[in-house]
Amino acid sequence: MNPYVICTDSGCDLAPALLEEWGVPFCSLTFRFDGEDREYFNNDMDGKTFYDRMRKGGIAKTAAVNSQAFIQCFEKQLKEGKDLLYLGFSSGLSTTFNSARLAAEVLRESYPNRRILVVDTLAASAGQGLLVYLALQKQKEGASAEENAAYVEEMKWRLCHWFTVDDLVYLKRGGRISSASAMIGNMLAIKPVLHMDNEGHLVNVSKVRGRRNALSAIADQYGKLALEPRNGTVFISHADCLEEAELVGSMLRERYGAEVMLYTGVGPVIGAHSGPGTFALFFLGKER
Amino acid sequence: MAKKETKKEKKTSAGGLRVIGGLLLKKMARGGAGLLRSNADEVNKLNVFPVPDGDTGDNMRLTIESGISAIENLDSDDLAEVMKTLSHGMLLGARGNSGVILSQFFAGIYKGLKTSHTADPETFAHALERGVEQAYASVMTPTEGTILTVAREAVEFAVSRLTSESTIRSLFADLVGEMHASLERTPEILTVLKDAGVVDSGGAGLFYIMDGFNRVLNGEEIPQKETSREAVASTVSVPDFSAFDADSEMTYGYCTELLVRLQNSKTDVKSFDVEALKAYLSEIGDSVVAFVTDGIVKLHVHTLIPEKVLKHCHKFGEFLTVKIENMSLQHTETQREEMTAGQPAVEEKKRYGAVAVCNGAGIEGMFLEAGADRVIHGGQTHNPSAGEFLEAFGEISAETIFVFPNNGNILMAAQQAAELYENARVLVIPSKNFGAGYVALSMLDWSCEDADANLAAMENAMKGAIAGFVSPSIRDAELNGVHIENGDTIGILEKEIVISEKERSVAFLGLAERMLALPEKFMLTVYCGADADAAERESLEASLRERHPNAELYFVDGGQEIYPYILIAE
Repeated sequence: MNPYVICTDSGCDLAPALLEEWGVPFCSLTFRFDGEDREYFNNDMDGKTFYDRMRKGGIAKTAAVNSQAFIQCFEKQLKEGKDLLYLGFSSGLSTTFNSARLAAEVLRESYPNRRILVVDTLAASAGQGLLVYLALQKQKEGASAEENAAYVEEMKWRLCHWFTVDDLVYLKRGGRISSASAMIGNMLAIKPVLHMDNEGHLVNVSKVRGRRNALSAIADQYGKLALEPRNGTVFISHADCLEEAELVGSMLRERYGAEVMLYTGVGPVIGAHSGPGTFALFFLGKER
Repeated sequence: MAKKETKKEKKTSAGGLRVIGGLLLKKMARGGAGLLRSNADEVNKLNVFPVPDGDTGDNMRLTIESGISAIENLDSDDLAEVMKTLSHGMLLGARGNSGVILSQFFAGIYKGLKTSHTADPETFAHALERGVEQAYASVMTPTEGTILTVAREAVEFAVSRLTSESTIRSLFADLVGEMHASLERTPEILTVLKDAGVVDSGGAGLFYIMDGFNRVLNGEEIPQKETSREAVASTVSVPDFSAFDADSEMTYGYCTELLVRLQNSKTDVKSFDVEALKAYLSEIGDSVVAFVTDGIVKLHVHTLIPEKVLKHCHKFGEFLTVKIENMSLQHTETQREEMTAGQPAVEEKKRYGAVAVCNGAGIEGMFLEAGADRVIHGGQTHNPSAGEFLEAFGEISAETIFVFPNNGNILMAAQQAAELYENARVLVIPSKNFGAGYVALSMLDWSCEDADANLAAMENAMKGAIAGFVSPSIRDAELNGVHIENGDTIGILEKEIVISEKERSVAFLGLAERMLALPEKFMLTVYCGADADAAERESLEASLRERHPNAELYFVDGGQEIYPYILIAE
C-alpha cells in the first residue's frame, strides 16, 4: 500500500512555511486587494498592512479554490506515489471543499486503485489547522489513511471554535453570519462572542460589554468545555492583535494550567471576512 | 426663606372655618400652587452641588399645577371629590422625586377624606397623617432631613395641638408654622445640606404650597400669573408655515384627529359601529385609526377633505377636541407617528419595548439605535412626569416595557407610571444616569423570553458602571475637602465632588484617571456634551490614550447639556 500524505487548504491559517515544515501540501484560496490577486501574506502585503488597510475601509474580496487547482495539487502527490487524505475548510463557509470533492472524483477515475480521501472538517482557521496537526500525530502513530480519516471525522465534532471580532460589520458584509445573528448591531462597546456550530456556520452566542470581557468570556468557555483543560492542545489565531491573544494565553494558564501550543495570524482569506481584531481560540471539548 | 408667622385675622365666615369643603379646598390649592410658582426659582437654587441644574421647584410646581388643571373646571363643594381629582391630577403630573412624594402625600390625604363631603379640623388632620404615611411608603429608603421629615414633623405638631376649639385656620397655622421650623432644621439632620449652606429643596417646596393654602384661609390673594420663563417654555413650537405658501399644492392632506363624545340623542351609544366609521374614513383618506372608549370615539385619518370627517362625525356626537393639521408642514410628522403608534393593540404585541429618558441628540440617537422604541426628552433639568411616561408606554405595543431613566430624580415618577399602567408589564431599570441606562439596554437580550432574567442581567451589567461628570461650578464652596471657586470646573464621581480645577482639561483628565484607577475598570466611555469643543476633545482623547494604552476608550458625541463631559467607567 502506498504511503499517504495529509493535505489541506489555506483556510487553516497555518503559515506556508510551517505547513512546508510539516510536509503538508496545500491549495490557496485567493484574495483580491487593489485589483491584484494574491494567495497569502508575504513581504509585499503582510498582515499588518492588510489589516491597517481594512481599518481604513479597504475591502478585500476572496475566492475559493477551484477544482482544477486541486486536481493539479493532488495529482502531483499521486504521481509521486503518495495517496491522499485531504482535510478541507468548512463547506459552511466556502465552496473550496466541494471543489476538492469534485477533483477527487475526477482523479479516482484516473487512479482507481489509489486512496483519495476527503474530509469536510466543518472547521476554519487554526481550528482546521488543529485537526491537521492531530491527523499528523495520528499518522506518526501508524494510523492508516482510512483510520485517520475516521479519527478526524470523530474529532471534528469536538473541535471548539470560540471567537470574537472587533466589529460585526465584516462578517455581515461577507454574508458569513446570518443577519439575525448580527442583530446585536453596532452598539457602543458591545462585543459578540461567537462559535462555529455543527454545520460549520458561525453563530453569535452572546454579547458582552467590552473587548476585555469578551476575551475573558472566551477563556471561560475553555474552562467549561475543554476535555483536558491541563494537557489539551490549544491553538489561537488572531488578526493583528497578538498582545490580546497572549493575554488570553495567560488567562488560560492562570485559570486552568493550560498552555497554548500555537499562535498564528488569521490569514487574508478569513481575515477579509472577520476583520482586524479577530481573536479565536481552538481546542478539543466535550462537544462543539 | 420667606416669612413664617402667619397673621391670624379677618373675614371668611368665621364659623365656617370649623369645616372645609370642596370649593374652599380648590381655592386653597390654587393659592398653594401660586405661592410655589412665585418662589420656584428660589427652590431651584437650593441645590446641594454648585451646579446649575436644580429643578426641585419646577418639578413640584408642575406637579401641583397638574392637579390644579384637573380641578379647574370642577365646581363641586364635595371635599372628597375635589381632593380625589386634585390628587389624581398630581399623580399623573408628578415629576422628580419631590414631585412624586408630593403627589403621594396628597393621594394619602385623599384616602383619609374618601368619605368626607366636608371635614372638621380633626378629620382633616388625620387625613394629613395618612398623607405622611403614604409619602413615606412611596420611598424605598426614606431619608430624614428631607420633604418627608418636614411633612411629618409639621403634621405631628398640628395633630398634637388639636383641641375642641381648633378651626381649619388654626390647624393650618400650626401646620405651616411648624413646617417652616422643621425646614430650618433640615441642615442639622443632613450634613450635605449643611455643607452646602442650604435647606432641603423639597421641604421648601412643600412649605410654599402649604403656606399658600394657609394664606388663602387668611384671606390673602395669591397671584396666579404664570412666570414668563415657563410661559415661553410651555409654548408649543410653531411649525414653519413657509413650507406651504400661496402656490403650494395640497398633496399630503390633513392629519385629522378628533375626540367625539357619542350622543344618545343622535345615536345608540352602546352599540356604536366603529367598523362602519372606519370603513367610511378609509374611503376618504388613509392611515385610519379609530376606537371607542367610554362613549368617546378617538379617530385619526389623513385626508384631503377634513370637512367631510367633521360632517360625518357630527351625525352621531359632539366634538371634544378637533385637530386638523396640514401635513406639508413638517411638525405634523412626529404627531402623526405618535397618533398612529397610539392605536390600540390590534397587531401582535412584541415581546419587549423600551423607553429611555435622555437629552442630547447624540445620546437619543444611540438609544434608538440600541433598540429603544421611545425616548423621552429629559434629565436633571427636566424631569418627565408620570403622565409623560404613561403616554410613551401607550405608544408601544409590547408585553413587557423596560424603562431606562437617566437620573435618580426620575426613577420615582417612572415607577409611579409603571404602577398606573395596565396594558403591559413595566419594569423600571434603576439607572441613575443615561450611561448606566445605555449599558443596561445594550445588554437586553431581545430573544430571551424571561423578562426577569433580562432584568437581572441588565442590572448586573449596570452595577459595574460608574459615572463621572465634568461641570462648571457656579459658586464658591468647600465640599468633601475639595476647594471650589466660582467658575472652576469640577469633577463629580457618582455623588461626590472629587476634583476642582481652573482648567477644564485638567479636571477632565484628573477625573478620568481616578476612574480608570478604580479596581476592575478598564473601559471608559466619554460622552461629549453640547459645550465640548472638538479640538479639546481630540487632545483629551490623545492624552488619555497615551497614558492608558491598555484601556478601552470610546469617545462619542452625546450632545448633552450642562455637562461638557460625562464619563462612564466599566
